Amino acid sequence: MSLKLLRQGLGGRPPRMWHDRPLKDHYDVVIIGGGAHGLACAYYLAADHGITNVAVIDKSYIGAGGSGRNTAIIRSNYLTPEGVQFYDASVKLYEGLAQELDFNVMFSQRGHLTLAHNDSSVRTMRRRAEVNKLQGVDSRLVYPDELARICPQLDLSDHPRFPIQAALYHPPGGIIRHDAVVWGYARGADQRGVDIHQYTEVTGIDVANGAVTGVRTTRGNVSAGIVLSATAGWASNVAAMVDLPLPLDTFPLQACVTEPLKPILDVVVVSGSLHVYVSQSDRGELVMGASIDPFTSYSVGGSLDFLEGLAGHVLELFPFLSKARILRQWAGLCEMPPDFSPLMGITPVDNFLIDAGWGTYGFKASPICGKTMAELIATRQTPALLRPFRLSRFAEYDQVGEKGAASVGH
Amino acid sequence: MSGRRLPAQTGESLDRGQPLEFRFDGHSYQGFAGDTVASALTAAGVNVVSRSFKYHRPRGLLCCAGHCPNCLVQIGDEPSVRSCKRALEAGMDVQPQNAWPSLDNDLLSLTEAASRFMPVGFYYKTFHRPRLLWPAFEHVLRNAAGLGVIDENTPEGDYDKQYLHADVVVVGGGPAGVSAAVAAVDEGARVLLIDENPELGGHLRYSRPDAVAHARIVDGQQRLLQSGGTILNDTAVVGWYEDHWLSAVRGNRLFKIRAGAVVVASGAFETPSVFAGNDHPGIMLGTAVQRLLHLYGVVPGHRAVVVTANDTGWAVAADLLAAGVNVAAVADERPQLPVGTDIEALQAAGVTLLPGSTIAAARGKSGVEEVTLVAVDGSSGSHVVRCDFVALSTTWVPSAELAYMAGARSCYDDELAEMRLDNLPDGLFLAGRVAGPCSAEQEWLQGARAGAAAAGNTDDLPIAASQDVQATARSSALVAAPDVGGDKRFVCLCEDVTDVDIETAIAEGFDRIELLKRYSTVGMGPCQGRMCGLNGIRLCAQGTGKSVQDTGRTTGRPPVTPVALGVLAGQKMEPVQLSAVHDWHVDQGARMMVAGLWMRPEHYGDAAAEVRAMRQTVGLIDVSPLGKLQLTGPGVAAMLERLYVNNWQDLRRGRVRYGIMCNDEGVVLDDGVCARLSDEQWYVSTTSTGASGALEWMEWWRQSGWGDGVHITDLTETHAAFNLAGPQSRALLQTQTDRDLSNDRFPYMRARRADVAGVPCLLLRIGFTGELGYEIHCPAGYGRYLWQRLIDAGADFGLRPFGVEAQRVLRLEKAHFIVGQDTDALTDPISADAAWAVHLDKDCDFLGRRALTRIATDGPRQRLVGFRTGRRADSLLEGLQIVQSDDRGKPQIIGWVSSCRFSPTLQETIGLCWLPAALAERSEATFHIHVDGRLEPARVHHGPFYDAEGARLRG
Repeated sequence: MSLKLLRQGLGGRPPRMWHDRPLKDHYDVVIIGGGAHGLACAYYLAADHGITNVAVIDKSYIGAGGSGRNTAIIRSNYLTPEGVQFYDASVKLYEGLAQELDFNVMFSQRGHLTLAHNDSSVRTMRRRAEVNKLQGVDSRLVYPDELARICPQLDLSDHPRFPIQAALYHPPGGIIRHDAVVWGYARGADQRGVDIHQYTEVTGIDVANGAVTGVRTTRGNVSAGIVLSATAGWASNVAAMVDLPLPLDTFPLQACVTEPLKPILDVVVVSGSLHVYVSQSDRGELVMGASIDPFTSYSVGGSLDFLEGLAGHVLELFPFLSKARILRQWAGLCEMPPDFSPLMGITPVDNFLIDAGWGTYGFKASPICGKTMAELIATRQTPALLRPFRLSRFAEYDQVGEKGAASVGH
Repeated sequence: MSGRRLPAQTGESLDRGQPLEFRFDGHSYQGFAGDTVASALTAAGVNVVSRSFKYHRPRGLLCCAGHCPNCLVQIGDEPSVRSCKRALEAGMDVQPQNAWPSLDNDLLSLTEAASRFMPVGFYYKTFHRPRLLWPAFEHVLRNAAGLGVIDENTPEGDYDKQYLHADVVVVGGGPAGVSAAVAAVDEGARVLLIDENPELGGHLRYSRPDAVAHARIVDGQQRLLQSGGTILNDTAVVGWYEDHWLSAVRGNRLFKIRAGAVVVASGAFETPSVFAGNDHPGIMLGTAVQRLLHLYGVVPGHRAVVVTANDTGWAVAADLLAAGVNVAAVADERPQLPVGTDIEALQAAGVTLLPGSTIAAARGKSGVEEVTLVAVDGSSGSHVVRCDFVALSTTWVPSAELAYMAGARSCYDDELAEMRLDNLPDGLFLAGRVAGPCSAEQEWLQGARAGAAAAGNTDDLPIAASQDVQATARSSALVAAPDVGGDKRFVCLCEDVTDVDIETAIAEGFDRIELLKRYSTVGMGPCQGRMCGLNGIRLCAQGTGKSVQDTGRTTGRPPVTPVALGVLAGQKMEPVQLSAVHDWHVDQGARMMVAGLWMRPEHYGDAAAEVRAMRQTVGLIDVSPLGKLQLTGPGVAAMLERLYVNNWQDLRRGRVRYGIMCNDEGVVLDDGVCARLSDEQWYVSTTSTGASGALEWMEWWRQSGWGDGVHITDLTETHAAFNLAGPQSRALLQTQTDRDLSNDRFPYMRARRADVAGVPCLLLRIGFTGELGYEIHCPAGYGRYLWQRLIDAGADFGLRPFGVEAQRVLRLEKAHFIVGQDTDALTDPISADAAWAVHLDKDCDFLGRRALTRIATDGPRQRLVGFRTGRRADSLLEGLQIVQSDDRGKPQIIGWVSSCRFSPTLQETIGLCWLPAALAERSEATFHIHVDGRLEPARVHHGPFYDAEGARLRG
């Protein structure tokens, strides 16, 4: 029992986690987008670098975008050495985040399985496992006998249309309370002097002599030393305000949950071949999702097709779930870059930075992205972890190919 | 018996001649056919049906309409069944959820004792220090959470789907819906009327019998059916998606419905009010009491208190009185008692009638025993009234979920204290109570006008409810009852969220309705906010000083009511593609493997022997899964020039050429051979697994303007293809055809049409395997016959069928890459050692040109190259990494093994791998493959491992 709860239980009022403050005329750093990325960057700017004249501006409530719509899976079992290093650093930050923020983000390292249903998937899983191991990431190929111990609920028989042949097992992977990550960072940033402006929409960005000078919002204009766009899903639109084209296409990604059930599934289970992933939250809901929708759109209405396809595929893996009921479905927006790796760092427009291209894998990178972007802003030097993900890599034909490890949306 | 079952009621759904035995929580009970599980339990005197999510408080029936979480039970292997909607069946085994060891003595209810230290969001504030504490606490929380239990032996079950089409879909079979359906069918529309109940009638089914209104429903139903309309009973419309695409569920069937227009006549439902102890079993909604009484002949107790804010509560009270129930008191928020026969009857019976009053608290042990009624304005003293159930008829909420999904906006009507709908999208029409309070006559008229309008007759304007109706039907505007202390005041019953929780969350900064929901979890449970939505919004508005309208509402998401995965999945339709020769493969004992949607023979028992046979005599492989496209028209060559990196204009008739297709980034998408059969007729093969993607890609560009005069016909499934290869293949094939196969007449990389064993075939002389060989394409219907003829004729030539595994080895011996195995999502053909196929000097632009020009200029960073080991090295597997020690002796990844096999021909392990270009260029350079912490050496090899000059192919 924490002291705070004791005090609150005995009649104390809990403190406000963040405040609505007036919009200042000038901020050293304006971060567009109040999701986990933007708030993490603001938090680390203040906590690591003492930069506190920072505004986080969101057109909606904090965490309204991808941060609140993703399915909260954390992992680092990527394919490229660059990707593995980056996401591994993120997992390590997540492991200490509850203590760092003094806010229980409920990181639950339940283990993560990526199933292989054919020999080419087995090959890809082995490739990932080998890359992971060499980077010090706990990840290995497991075959049905061991798989049956890790996840006895899986249908490992040869009855399914695509029998399971092996899996990539990643013990440090798991799930987290995604909203708590947003709130924890928001509180930490607010406590350190960062202004969080909800329901404030950026309508334009001012550029003079090739450099950004400020932003225009629905609540007034602000001059800014640096503007960071951390608006997954809408990054193309924000970058268009400074006439910067980004190699991104935005697609909806859908997910759903069942009614709460008693514990039935411990690990996170992903199947690339079946385009499905399932985990069970601490509330008891089975959280499920699929690949991005097959066409570009900004619609988050969701579709019946998605539910039908997903249900069929989930039952391929877990036939006994036929009577579990879907409680709600939703969609978020994913901007897909050509190489399935993010776009972070400087742009051809001076003082305009991007944190974009997060496809289906943005949430799990929030801490490390925030931390390294903050370092970039504070030092004006691109940290080594960020360098592979620079925007200029496309012009330089130096992409970071993560399609093999990131094409299923989670 | 509990004495709660009344004599037969007019219009009840029971068959009292058919008693049914069932079990609940280990006890046996009896109900009747026509009962729901909940009504039978109520009749049997059971008050507590479930335990709540967080505090494990006892809960009883609340809504009896399938909305609230209180009646959720486990029936056999089915979790979270809404027992108020589930028809009773003989022998049912009904179990309570979330209670241990039993419903009456649930040990976890002790958690409530600590509830003051478990405020809203408490789990965010504790259990995380030290770090190791969390997994232990999480285990406890996780086991405490969840309601129903999944049985791992649940069979998949039988589910199906049905498509339906209608000009007008009417949702809701009450008076407004029936009237709308009749009006639409009268206009000549195809009409589909969908109702969630077993019979039409809507609220008429459970309100006081009204012969006139009932007759109108019966008439309407007949007229609708006679005019060709369709009625779906027991069917819930659960989703509205773009373009009037509706999903509906009846039992194990999912209906997918395309509607021209939709009339939503789904009515409204009541929600509970916020007061101390408002969750005690026995406290239920007025409409729930009416349903029990009129549909099932059951009263939930013997002494009632009715609380209302409009005329509906008075009808409930009068109904109870008429049923012989002792009505202890009726409290009406309104300062003046209304006039009417209901009130006169209650007055005559001496019932305590309290105007300007409402309920402030309820007390009891396992059910309500007494309530406190107070003046709304706090002016006078309170009345404590003993009772064993309470009917709440205070607040109405329109059943507008479908309308919200369709894009309608909510608009709070302060006068009515109710949400109204505006901004209706095209094709959505409202009728009846969902659009606001209305009289019986108005709802019928509204229905008729909405139905006619939905059918295309737009002359009629909607009927608005008159002021006097609204005045008698307005909801309670009280955010919560006056606070008299005592028990918790629940807002959200699914999640045990109280008004204090809401206030605390707002104080902590969660002062926007969406944030409030996510932090407090109000509205996130099984009822998805249906019971608590309005109260949550009002409390949020009160806490933030905003208006209810400005506070807004959380986004409503499908489905309206939860839908089983089995229903959504339907019959499993996972197609399997089988070649014409599939049965033969299976009969021969082939080990079959999944290859995309196809099943293919991996081997017939001994892949190495298959390799040897093919190299020495002749082999035959079924390559039917190859993508096979026929392209015709004057523009084919020009289109291929743009889609492939190769030259095509110069390919002469009868010739075959290998081609690589790239995307705009120069990434290899697919490869295969293209044969020019005549000037304007081409035959293009693609990879097996990439066949559908390649076709889609080609079609996309063809339809985007590059395919002028090109027709693409997909022959993948209509044609079989076999590869007959090996030194004896020509001799063998010649026995089956009159076509001269001599090297002069049919050289390497040529295409010929020929009858083989009397079957019209296209022959391609190509050689993926590195031997003299013929790919034989024929209509699939002849495939099995032709295959058999080749097998039979092959007996004299030492023919052996071979599978995918042998083919992989054979092609590897020739160092041919496989797209998707040796290449990945960034591989360009230059780096993949196929620069010879890339013609940057082509006359026209082509996909990937810009990127490939750049790569050709700068040179690749990584290259695909062969390697050999000089030994049998079975530990070398595809996917292993190639490493080099850095300054500190730590292995750094420099490449990876994409293909690797022991070659029976060369008697050593060989492979393809990706290496830094500088290393790859050095023939015989040694590098190391990382295997389980060990380093295995290998040497760079350039070119094919076998028959480097290709003499065997061309001979």
